[in-house]
Amino acid sequence: MTVQQPTAEDMQERAIIDRSARFPVMFFFTSAAAWLFVGTLLGLFSSLKLSQPGLGDSFGIFGYGRIYPAHTIAMVYGWAMQAGIGVLIWLMARLTRNPVRRGLAILVAGHVWNAAVAVSIICVIIAKGRSIPWLDFPGWLWPLFAFSYALMVIWVIPMFHSRKGGPVYISEKFIVGAVIWFPWIFLTANFLIGAETAPVLSAGVDAWYISNLITFWMAPLTLAVAYYIVPKIAGRPLYSYTLASISFWVLAVLAGWTGFSRYMGGPFPSWMPAISGACSILLLLAIIAAVANIGVTLKGCSKVWELSPSLRFTVFGVLMLAVYALLAAASSTFLIGGPLQFTPFSAGLDTLAVYGFFSMSLFGAIYFIVPRITGAEWPSGRRIRRHFWFSAYGIISLIVLMLVGGIAHGGGMAVWNRPFSTLFSISTAYSTGLCVVWAMISFSNFWFMHQLGMMFIGKGRKSGGPTLIHGEPGAAVGAKEAAGITS
Amino acid sequence: MNSNGTWKFLGGLGVVFALPWLVLIVIPFLSMSSTAPVAYVEADEVEGGLTAYPDRSTLRYGASDFGADVYASEGCVYCHTQMVRPTYAGPDMWRQGWGGREADGLARETRPEDYLGEKFAFLGYQRIGPDLSNVGYRVANREEMHQHLRDPKSVIRDGSDNRDSGMPAYKHLYKLDTMTNKLVPTDRAEALVDYLMSRRKDAKIPASLVGK
Repeated sequence: MTVQQPTAEDMQERAIIDRSARFPVMFFFTSAAAWLFVGTLLGLFSSLKLSQPGLGDSFGIFGYGRIYPAHTIAMVYGWAMQAGIGVLIWLMARLTRNPVRRGLAILVAGHVWNAAVAVSIICVIIAKGRSIPWLDFPGWLWPLFAFSYALMVIWVIPMFHSRKGGPVYISEKFIVGAVIWFPWIFLTANFLIGAETAPVLSAGVDAWYISNLITFWMAPLTLAVAYYIVPKIAGRPLYSYTLASISFWVLAVLAGWTGFSRYMGGPFPSWMPAISGACSILLLLAIIAAVANIGVTLKGCSKVWELSPSLRFTVFGVLMLAVYALLAAASSTFLIGGPLQFTPFSAGLDTLAVYGFFSMSLFGAIYFIVPRITGAEWPSGRRIRRHFWFSAYGIISLIVLMLVGGIAHGGGMAVWNRPFSTLFSISTAYSTGLCVVWAMISFSNFWFMHQLGMMFIGKGRKSGGPTLIHGEPGAAVGAKEAAGITS
Repeated sequence: MNSNGTWKFLGGLGVVFALPWLVLIVIPFLSMSSTAPVAYVEADEVEGGLTAYPDRSTLRYGASDFGADVYASEGCVYCHTQMVRPTYAGPDMWRQGWGGREADGLARETRPEDYLGEKFAFLGYQRIGPDLSNVGYRVANREEMHQHLRDPKSVIRDGSDNRDSGMPAYKHLYKLDTMTNKLVPTDRAEALVDYLMSRRKDAKIPASLVGK
């Protein structure tokens, strides 16, 4: 990660790597974007169903208890996992200077993964779900996910081992961490829950799995993207490599302890939620250090922020990571988390992780990667702008709603003699707002999917500089140099 | 094999994660897997001749096991919890009927042993509806439970109506009998009612477990 101009040899090497990554990475991006659109529509429908419970209640398939988990599966396994895998394959190839090998195996496994996601969603909708949050699919499906995951990302480890060039860059550490931690938590959760021997701890393991999927897959990939994109686009080295490395190890040590605070006051030995809560709070140290590091690196780059879609999405995602970490830490204390437990706040926090910080950073990476592997520029800056603002407004509204809705609902629950059914008016207000949020996010992702589809079928812009958020495409030649964007 | 630190790094990742994995997940899981019903000592035995904790009548058998699958597949978990918190975490114990039989002095928060015999403890995700840990005590009989599933807003309990309820009607669990022109429960509805009526997590705790 230097600011020196690349030599002709470097450029040729990059071109070879980009070409080798093209088919697997584009496959993951386009299928992830399609699932994201499905997931946001299911999110819209589930909140509609929550505000109008009578809607289609003669049909079981429209039940909120089926649509909501279907939405989660589409968002987590359809979108978040696949987008993450696409981004990490390309980043790893570029950072280790190795072309992507075994493209065919990756593609085949990718199809298996997509089939597993589709079957999971169908099973949940036709009442074959298990009601284990984030693991709602029937038990026999998890080996399929595990198997195809292994075939998709195992190549990253030899790639890392045979890396060329200087010292290990921080993004590589985060990627290797995420690649190893995900199967570990996924297999642990499915084996233990599938054993059906300790019902209460199985529920705890599920909470731990959700939290770890966020802190060991979404957060590391968000930071890997940010540590790559920000110095690259700002055209200057990362402010402090040491700080980045320390925050990596702090995250690695602490994140595995989180999760049980979701069920604080539950039927667990009380040290378990306590240690989870304490580690969620300490985790703030790692996140704040990382966010500050990125912030200082970007100091005085407001011009680039205005122009570069990659930078804008990534930095917004990093800010949302800080917000998420802060809210998660606050909600793991009895003072704040007790009244907010089981309210829209706790559910909103999961959505904030998936759509708020992870997706936004990954959008940044996708806007950066796709022109390089397809050899064409994004068709329209206006549509990118639309994608950004509708997503950003959606996420900010979600934060406001989950805070207000959570406090109102939690406050209502705290009045012990208030009949529970009267609390429903509060959740109606929240879920009506949530409909608007999901409508905005669906709209923004329609344009994302549309743009990505155009790039996929080769309808990208063939000439000129990169597509910037402001200014007409094509007119942007020269702005590239002005903004200091290097490819 | 070049020694560029790959294995050292991977080993480091493994070690830092192995600690929480073992201490927080695997060891507690294995130790809680052996939770067997606890015998009452003769002197503690309560009226009705309970011999083990939890009360055997609350364990899932037969149709109730199928009922748990219906509960899961309809996603009841996304609106209802089955976890009564102690007062330091929330006012659950103050809500009428949530902690079990208040009149008999048996109301209490839920404990790990209460979920014995289930495949997965449905602690819940959100509380859009009330907690169901002890719903078996709050609902008078099976017919009332069926009515609550068929048409939640029509239920009148303890003199107060349920008009504000946000619960959808689970009409698809009932089928129209053309002979009598009435909605009759399907097998799934009967199983779900079995399961719900068995939700009683307030068995008396043996002295040997008090304070644990």
